[in-house]
Amino acid sequence: MNLTTQFFKFDNLSMFVGIFIGIFFLLIIIYSFGFMSQKKRLIYYYSYLILTFISSLGAVFSNNLILFMVFWGFLGLLLYLLIGFGQTEHASYTAKKAFIIIGGTDALMLLGLAIIWQLTGSLQMDRINITLNTKIAVLAYMCLAVGAFAKAGAMPFHTWVPDTAQDAPTPVTAFFPASLDKLLGIYFLARISLYMFKMSPALNTVLMMIGSFTIVAAVMMALVQHDLKKLLGYHAVSQVGYMVLGIGTGNPIGIAGGLFHMLNNAIYKSCLFLSGGAVEKEAGTTDLEKLGGFAKIMPISFITFLIASLAISGVPPLNGFASKWMIYQGIIKTAGNGSHLWIIWLIAAMFGSALTLASFMKLIHAVFLGQSVNEKFLSNQTSMNGGVINNKPREASPAMWIPQVFLAVLCVIFGVFAYRIPLKMFIFPSLEGKVEFFGIWNASLATILIIVGIIVGVIIYFLGTITKTRETEAFIGGEILEKQTNMRVSGTEFYDTIKDITPLDTIYKLAERKVFDIYDIGTKMTFGFNKILSYLHNGILLTYLSWCLLGMIILFYILLR
Amino acid sequence: MIAISHIIPLFVAISLLGAFIISIIGKRLKWIPDVIGNITTLILLGLSVLAMWTIVTKGTLVYSVGSWKLPIGIALVLDGLTAFMLITVNLIAFSVSIYSISYMERFTSKWKFYTLFLLMVAGMNGVVVSGDIFNLFVFLEIASVASYALVAFGTERHELEAAFKYTVMSSVGSLFLLLGIVFLYSYTSTLNMADMANILAQKSASNIIIMVIVLFITGFGLKAALVPFHAWLPDAHPSAPAPISAMLSGVLIKSLGIYTLCRIFYNVIGINPTLSSILMILGTLSMVIGVFLAIGQWDFKRLLAYHSISQIGYVILGIGLGTPLGIIGGLFHLFNHSVFKSLLFLNSGAVEYATGTRDLKKMGGLIAKMPVTGTTSLVASMSIAGIPPFNGFWSKLIIIIAAVQANRLGYAFWAVLASILTLASFTKVMKYAFFGKPRKRWSEVKEVPIFMKLAMVTLAIICVIGGVLLISNINQIFLKPASDVLLEGTKYADIVFKGIQ
Repeated sequence: MNLTTQFFKFDNLSMFVGIFIGIFFLLIIIYSFGFMSQKKRLIYYYSYLILTFISSLGAVFSNNLILFMVFWGFLGLLLYLLIGFGQTEHASYTAKKAFIIIGGTDALMLLGLAIIWQLTGSLQMDRINITLNTKIAVLAYMCLAVGAFAKAGAMPFHTWVPDTAQDAPTPVTAFFPASLDKLLGIYFLARISLYMFKMSPALNTVLMMIGSFTIVAAVMMALVQHDLKKLLGYHAVSQVGYMVLGIGTGNPIGIAGGLFHMLNNAIYKSCLFLSGGAVEKEAGTTDLEKLGGFAKIMPISFITFLIASLAISGVPPLNGFASKWMIYQGIIKTAGNGSHLWIIWLIAAMFGSALTLASFMKLIHAVFLGQSVNEKFLSNQTSMNGGVINNKPREASPAMWIPQVFLAVLCVIFGVFAYRIPLKMFIFPSLEGKVEFFGIWNASLATILIIVGIIVGVIIYFLGTITKTRETEAFIGGEILEKQTNMRVSGTEFYDTIKDITPLDTIYKLAERKVFDIYDIGTKMTFGFNKILSYLHNGILLTYLSWCLLGMIILFYILLR
Repeated sequence: MIAISHIIPLFVAISLLGAFIISIIGKRLKWIPDVIGNITTLILLGLSVLAMWTIVTKGTLVYSVGSWKLPIGIALVLDGLTAFMLITVNLIAFSVSIYSISYMERFTSKWKFYTLFLLMVAGMNGVVVSGDIFNLFVFLEIASVASYALVAFGTERHELEAAFKYTVMSSVGSLFLLLGIVFLYSYTSTLNMADMANILAQKSASNIIIMVIVLFITGFGLKAALVPFHAWLPDAHPSAPAPISAMLSGVLIKSLGIYTLCRIFYNVIGINPTLSSILMILGTLSMVIGVFLAIGQWDFKRLLAYHSISQIGYVILGIGLGTPLGIIGGLFHLFNHSVFKSLLFLNSGAVEYATGTRDLKKMGGLIAKMPVTGTTSLVASMSIAGIPPFNGFWSKLIIIIAAVQANRLGYAFWAVLASILTLASFTKVMKYAFFGKPRKRWSEVKEVPIFMKLAMVTLAIICVIGGVLLISNINQIFLKPASDVLLEGTKYADIVFKGIQ
């Protein structure tokens, strides 16, 4: 047999993902020249990036599951090493956490792979075609899907994404959780759901449930964040929900929408991270309390950020709108199956969209608009950094803003010419089935609903701001306002009030204590078992000898029975 | 012309010779222990490769000591499994002895160390080549006694305590084994394992065999540190000097415990489904309990010691499955574990050599100061955690596939769980020891000397390219003959009697 077809396959889906992996790799390399200029051990950083590029291409073009697992698993290790370049205190903890979640789910994928081999006797991806009618087949599918979820960051395996966003160097975040891992994770989900397994309606429902839950829960968490990168990280999770939802619809338009959204998300999310990184580089912080007024200082980053935020919120005519609209159509089409759950999915998706807009309003206010941290504070900070006065924030270097602008332009092009360029060239050829498409601008129910979504978002924004930013004379016991650096509306507390709504307040509190973090739960359980077992190992020889005797007795019992 | 089977006794003779030369003149000439020790292990490694080559080209070799006729004379057998074990043992022994050149400078009387070390190697090689069950016991005791002394080598309080515990528990194990051998001898009237297998095959099942099975599982379980017979290991392995820890965890528990267990249950007594399930249950228990115990440890070497229990579980699970794929996976994991666990112990030794501590909480950021140790440690950690493309990934993959293929989905699940926890605990090691912020107190720390680096890098390279061993041509030479020996079961007897030269 031809080795190439046995181990590698170049079909339209993998070509399309491969092309974009290449584009993102180039952009990130260019950006890194600007961003990583002052850090040590750069040679390792770039070689890891190149290895990442090679292994992700390998994963995408593999046709053999074991080969795929090798590349896929190696990517986890590279992510681990790359997060380690972060400068924050928690970077090594975050790297560990991300690697345990991703590496752990990879181990589950091995189980799925083993079951597939047992079921079909083949590991060649294009030869596998399993009908999901037995429990064991479902188990195999779930094992593989879990790997895809963890990589893409869908709930409940998402917790590494916000942490990574906060602690890893920005280009790493923009490359891994924002673009590459989405492309790979959703690519693999599509690969198994569309080609390797025949989906059953029940599993589709499960997928849609996970998707909807991810959208809403992650965006709710994003609303109350105080850190620029962490907030973006939660959105990275939330957007995965749309893709999973799209693929879960099981009809061509929904799937096409999911894949299109994967592409769009990679574009605008990297753009957001890169623009955010530009701000971080100049301000030296990502804490929203300390940012503000950067629109004047960094106009290019502001505009790219704005375009990308509108795209992620699904504002027409940007790309996020096009793909979300297709996903909505897909959801509505599932109504034909006779189930009424589609209403819930649709509401979740639209609600998520509205909240996304709301949260980006807050972000743009806090970072780019709003009052800047006053000059005195900034000059204090610079003088602490060595007293160089011309170290004032300015626009990022071209190496940094070129990728941002490129991505922002892509956002616009892929939105306005959605049908002509991305869909026709990349998405539709990747799918086997015919996509019934109603043309993009014959606004039907969904478009109206999106506009409603935007309006809701705007209303929430105003409700939030109006209560918080009444313009009145400030009277603070006679003190002069200008000296107080914290007397300004940073925007971080816009939606803090939703923390006080009755069921939500407990949920938020629990979430802050990491009760929903699968990693944290796992850690606690593991150390619980560890305590019990350590207690038994008391170091006394007699105890140990008596275990041996006990073991012997049990063996006798089993054998003589 | 001398028959090729004459190489078999050399494995014991050369290592004993080395030990005696060192013990006689090593005290006076300071360079003797290093030179003789390393030359001996290098020759042994060369001979092992030759032995493996012979197996592939000529088939099983049998050597009869003193040219006595076989069932009466003492047989030394060289078959696929033996050759595989010889390569494993002598490869690790060689890297460890290179490492010891620099590492053992910290201790006085290096000659004693090398003498005991070579005695232990002699014992392990002897166990592996022996075709006679009583001889096997004698060699097993030689290796064990040498290891008791080596665990106590530092002669500090906790080392003596650990050595004492180890001695008591291991002696109990030896006692059970001796008792089992006595029963077998009285039942079959022979000590030659091939002959014994023939006789056992003719006799009908009896309770004596059950007695023997229990005694052997307990005895070899104690040697191999299977749960619940494992409790001596976490004390003994960390207390020994690092190179010895590497030997103990890397090969001693395997040649004394797993190899013997497999040889006797597969080739002499004959495996049956009950035995197979017992092995799998013991393996799974070790795998899971070992890793749960390991993850909470803060002593670098103690953590590694608990992982040995866990990884031994994988090996036993794979071999216990009894399917061709399972046995290949188990044996491959045995080899891989020898390599990466020895490497990890050598790394821990390097860290201790440079910083003087084994406490993970006190380390931090060491990769900047010790790049070779840090990188090799990363490679070994990823191997043990089963991250592709390192060698541990392949063997775990095979074991998991084999478990599923044998319709043992539950066992496969536990293997996956243990793998996740292994990953978690090694990311912990990496985080606390090598990554993170560099600490001020380690600003003076230097990378270890060249010989230690050499040993670590060699083993790390094997970890990286370990997957190559699965390519079918190499597999035919390395793993296939070894797993065939186990698969042919009690046909072992015929093969041994046919293979006389």
